[in-house]
Amino acid sequence: MFILPALLVFLLPGLACALHESEAGVVDWHKTLVGVPLAYSPSIAPAFHRVHDTANTTRSVILTATGNNVLAALNPVDGSVAWRHVFEPEDPVTAFRRGEDTVAALSGPGGATLRSFNALTGTLLLETRLHDPSTGHLSEPVNVGTSLALQATDSSHPDIIVLTNGHSVRRIDGSTGGMKWGWTSADQTSLVMYTDLATTSDTVYLIGFAKSIQSNTLHVSSLSAITGQLIEDVDVPSHIADGPGDVITLTSSSSVPPRLAWFERGAIRSMLLTPDLKDKPASTKEARYRRIIDVGLATEHGIFVAIQGDGSSRVFKVDEDGPGVNAIWEFADSADSNHYAESIYSGGLDKDGYPYVARLFWSHALGKATAHVFVPHLAEGNGLVAGFTFPFDTRTHGIINHVAIDNVHQGGFQVLTRLFLTTTTGAVQLWQRDTLQWTREEGLATIAAAEYVELPEEKIVHSHRAEAFLERVVRHVKDTKDLPSYLTAFVNRFLTGSYETPSTALPSAANTSGLMTRDTFGFRKIIVVATAFGKIYGLDSTTGDIVWGRVLGLGWAAEVGAAIVPVKICVTRTVADGDTPQVVVVTQRRAENTLVDTVLFHVDALTGEDARHRSPSGEILQGLDIISGPLVDLFFLPGKRVIVLIDEFLGLHLYPDNDGTHGAFAKVASSLYLPLRAGSPGNRRLVGHKVHPNPEIDGRYFAAPLWTTAFPASEDILTVVRPSNAQPVASLGKVLGNRTTLYKYLNPNLLAVVTASKLASKCSIYVVDSVKGSVIYHATVPGVDGVCDVQANLVENWLVYYYYNGEVDGPGQTKGHMMVSVEFYEGTKPDDKIGSSDISSYSNKSMEVSAFEQAFLLPHGVTALASTSTKFGMTTKDIIVATQNHQIQTIPHRLLDPRRPKRKPTNEEMEEMLVQYDPLLPYETRAVLSHKNQVANVRRIVSSPALLESTSIVLAYGLDLFHTRVSPSGTFDVLSENFNKAQLIFTVSGLLAAIIITRPMVRRKRLREKWYQ
Amino acid sequence: MRSWFWTLSLLSLSCSVFALDLHGRVLWNEVCRGSQELGSAKVILYQGKLQGGVKWDGTFTIYDVHPGTYILSVLAHNHTFDKLRIDVSDSDPLPEVRPYVPGTPLSPPSQVMLPYPVLLSARQKNNYFVPRQSFNLLAMFQNPMMIMMVAAGVMVLGAPYLLKSLDPDALEEFKERQAKVSGLQNSIQNGDFKGGLSALMGNDEKPRSTGVSTSHSNQTPTKSKGKGKRR
Repeated sequence: MFILPALLVFLLPGLACALHESEAGVVDWHKTLVGVPLAYSPSIAPAFHRVHDTANTTRSVILTATGNNVLAALNPVDGSVAWRHVFEPEDPVTAFRRGEDTVAALSGPGGATLRSFNALTGTLLLETRLHDPSTGHLSEPVNVGTSLALQATDSSHPDIIVLTNGHSVRRIDGSTGGMKWGWTSADQTSLVMYTDLATTSDTVYLIGFAKSIQSNTLHVSSLSAITGQLIEDVDVPSHIADGPGDVITLTSSSSVPPRLAWFERGAIRSMLLTPDLKDKPASTKEARYRRIIDVGLATEHGIFVAIQGDGSSRVFKVDEDGPGVNAIWEFADSADSNHYAESIYSGGLDKDGYPYVARLFWSHALGKATAHVFVPHLAEGNGLVAGFTFPFDTRTHGIINHVAIDNVHQGGFQVLTRLFLTTTTGAVQLWQRDTLQWTREEGLATIAAAEYVELPEEKIVHSHRAEAFLERVVRHVKDTKDLPSYLTAFVNRFLTGSYETPSTALPSAANTSGLMTRDTFGFRKIIVVATAFGKIYGLDSTTGDIVWGRVLGLGWAAEVGAAIVPVKICVTRTVADGDTPQVVVVTQRRAENTLVDTVLFHVDALTGEDARHRSPSGEILQGLDIISGPLVDLFFLPGKRVIVLIDEFLGLHLYPDNDGTHGAFAKVASSLYLPLRAGSPGNRRLVGHKVHPNPEIDGRYFAAPLWTTAFPASEDILTVVRPSNAQPVASLGKVLGNRTTLYKYLNPNLLAVVTASKLASKCSIYVVDSVKGSVIYHATVPGVDGVCDVQANLVENWLVYYYYNGEVDGPGQTKGHMMVSVEFYEGTKPDDKIGSSDISSYSNKSMEVSAFEQAFLLPHGVTALASTSTKFGMTTKDIIVATQNHQIQTIPHRLLDPRRPKRKPTNEEMEEMLVQYDPLLPYETRAVLSHKNQVANVRRIVSSPALLESTSIVLAYGLDLFHTRVSPSGTFDVLSENFNKAQLIFTVSGLLAAIIITRPMVRRKRLREKWYQ
Repeated sequence: MRSWFWTLSLLSLSCSVFALDLHGRVLWNEVCRGSQELGSAKVILYQGKLQGGVKWDGTFTIYDVHPGTYILSVLAHNHTFDKLRIDVSDSDPLPEVRPYVPGTPLSPPSQVMLPYPVLLSARQKNNYFVPRQSFNLLAMFQNPMMIMMVAAGVMVLGAPYLLKSLDPDALEEFKERQAKVSGLQNSIQNGDFKGGLSALMGNDEKPRSTGVSTSHSNQTPTKSKGKGKRR
């Protein structure tokens, strides 16, 4: 019973495009990303980690937790991803701690889940739930009240002591995940909250805060590390203004008790942590400090940095003999100055475990970054500083946000430092002294908008000026140097039959002039992407290489700070217009002072140059503030190449803003209907608007409400799905087996709307005519825990949507991932025709529509879906889905055909190539486009036509990037992959040989017959 | 700047509802030999809100599973696992584990019960590629169509020699039969079934007259002899 559908799938032509192993990585590319490292707290910031794998050799990785909620280890040698663990969105990483070959990570609200990984391979060693995430403390930032420490034991895995929710401490067995002991503060309602812990072999110290009227007081408790019994519990007379960042616990060696240092009213105070907590706090002599910084060397090395009032910095170390902490170094010229930007401090180790402290700053005078590395153990323990400058490119990578260091002591006073930088544009870089080792553009894990741009054809450049006869002869002679290579190529091609096929690797992109040109089949395009880190990139669609990147300028908000949120990318000029293509990136700029502006960036898609010529190449790209306020929506009129932006007062703004576009817009304005989302989040409605000329200002337009959808008041609009990029429609109908025709309902104004009901856990999907707001199709599907995760795609007359069905109403039903396919046809029966593609939406006939729908069960959940698109729209449209399983898969249209009969197909149905309905769409591994690549957390899939009608190119982005080619109906317009020239020649020559052999025989026979007949 | 402290809020401590932790283990087999081969894998219930990671030894735990019916599936990138049905009830401290075939209704439940803790093993390793069709001379000639073609070619070339070595009588008979069969084929092609059939029927009668024809056929040897001479 289950073999049959599987067999059918094999027979379907949709899978004719399954990959050959040799094509993997040739027709597709994949970029494994981890996201931009987080650095808001030392417990989560990136760090080098060295593992001694044998007696003398070590291997190191860079451990980092990222904004995409990934814990990752990067290989410092080449920047590849050694391993990564992708956390669920509701389970944010709050802290990680590394020890020998283990990395322990705490995640979820209040630190609900503890995991530990092998530091080199990422194998999950332990996963245990500490409390129900729904009972976790919610705090801002998420890591407050959580901490963890590793305690070496006799077994191979260290025990983990973990503080969660600000009041619970547990000791977890590192091998089994069992709890050795647990302690919860007796009075949870009190305002004492623990934020950090320090451990020795026999005692665990908890550092917390007690709320008082003016500020916070330190509260320290000591527990037995063996039994978890409370030993002592004291309030330390103190005055902490800021928070946990002002307190550092310092440990130096296992024999010396740890020390607690904190910043209080300009002074640095400290106390020794002994189990009885009897020590009296000591203070530095002068109260002249601004703040203290934990550089990651507090544990085991007892080192931290303090900034003095003038901005200069001192390195402090635990003083094991004397009282408290001592300044052991002061960085020269570190006071605030106009010559250099504010310094960043970081600590790191070398192979032998000696600590190093680095100060990194940007020098305005040199235009370079400078690092000063303080080495305490050299120069007979007096310490020395090694300094160097390195040419960090601030114009393409922004400003350095965080640095982690790793060091090699080369003997004598020679120190080699590796710097791991995280920048404001989302790039991470590894510098070895002043040479750049590698760069990873992790901002690409936060793509907010992406668009394909076609490339121009390579033109054979000939001089147009008149040339003399001699000149021409010389040119021709010169050109003959290419003749031998041409001839060999020709002979080679003729003999071996090695033609360019859609699955061959493409030659390098750039031509002689350095500009990119398209390939024979149009697979090479520029993908313009805009990231949440304020940078736009041009990617080569055949390799994924970054062709250009530009940092988006903040305009006036540069002084207050702002974030640029890309909204959409519009292609305003294409190759068909006869010049280099251009794109406009529409963004919203959210300044720190809460002002929101709409800013446009207009660039040349081939080079990234500013098309408005306001910013020189290589500099930061300056935008055009088109609306001083938020953007409600935007529409792109592709025929007119005009972007219409709508501000919050429903005023219309045109870009480009010139007479040509005004004239073009005036012609279409009266027939424009704009469906806009109105209302606050949670209460949004879809309101249709009509465009009117503004009577007060000539040449200005505004939108006036026309209709509101009749959705129930409890429903909030989540997403509006516009038909995937308007493509040509090749056929207006479908001819059935009985020679009647179903005419497709091709209303160009259709929209799909997903809504969530506030009352019941229900989601709705509507298909709406955006001119008059009438509902053409409506379905209600269950939500999951009140969350609507409905993915929808609308193309031509075909709506496909996905949801999870977790409700079982009666017998015969099941839970599962559902995909519903709906097709709209004109009229009520075959041969009904209303001409829906041309008819006015106000015609009564426009509502004469019938819908065929069918639901299918999918084996895995879907995170994004899209349909393929081809140049002329003749090729079947397949659905491309990104699954929870980190795969990209195609689902052929034939399997999703809502007219699949529920019994054995009749002859007429077989003629239409319909296969019998089966509720389950089987998991077909050969339909997995991403094959061995893990494509995690895909948020969106974009497809674009190639020059070949049969082929569509597809980009999936989210955490990773994946790009491939799809031929839903097989590559019918090129010579088949299986075409074998050798076989053909062999057969032909065989036939020829047969003729040569038989010909004399036949002739003899004929002759004989003539004689004797 | 003390906001970090005050923004803390304790969510309502959920009233103690019955919930259990679901334990299980992925068994290594020849399809999937160990955690290195399996890679990062998760076991999920209920769309993925409830999940547990597969640890190095193949064990996994899904915490806080409330009463209800769930479908358990494994998210592993390169391996396919069976789905299971898990029923957690208030009364029973242990969940019921049943096999589940995707696409079948949840009720009535399967009668087959599986042991708890859940045991899973990889069914198959995913194969994403189709083999390329390569040109192979031997394979080409092993193709039945090709064999038939070659056989036909051999027949065409070899038939004259075969005929020559045949007994003249048998040859005559063979020719006659061939003529008849071709006549039958012709009549069928022309849609004249009856004619064709009658030709066949006639076939039955013919043998009686063979006596006559055999005497007649005495001439043929001379003919064939003549033929033989020609050579």
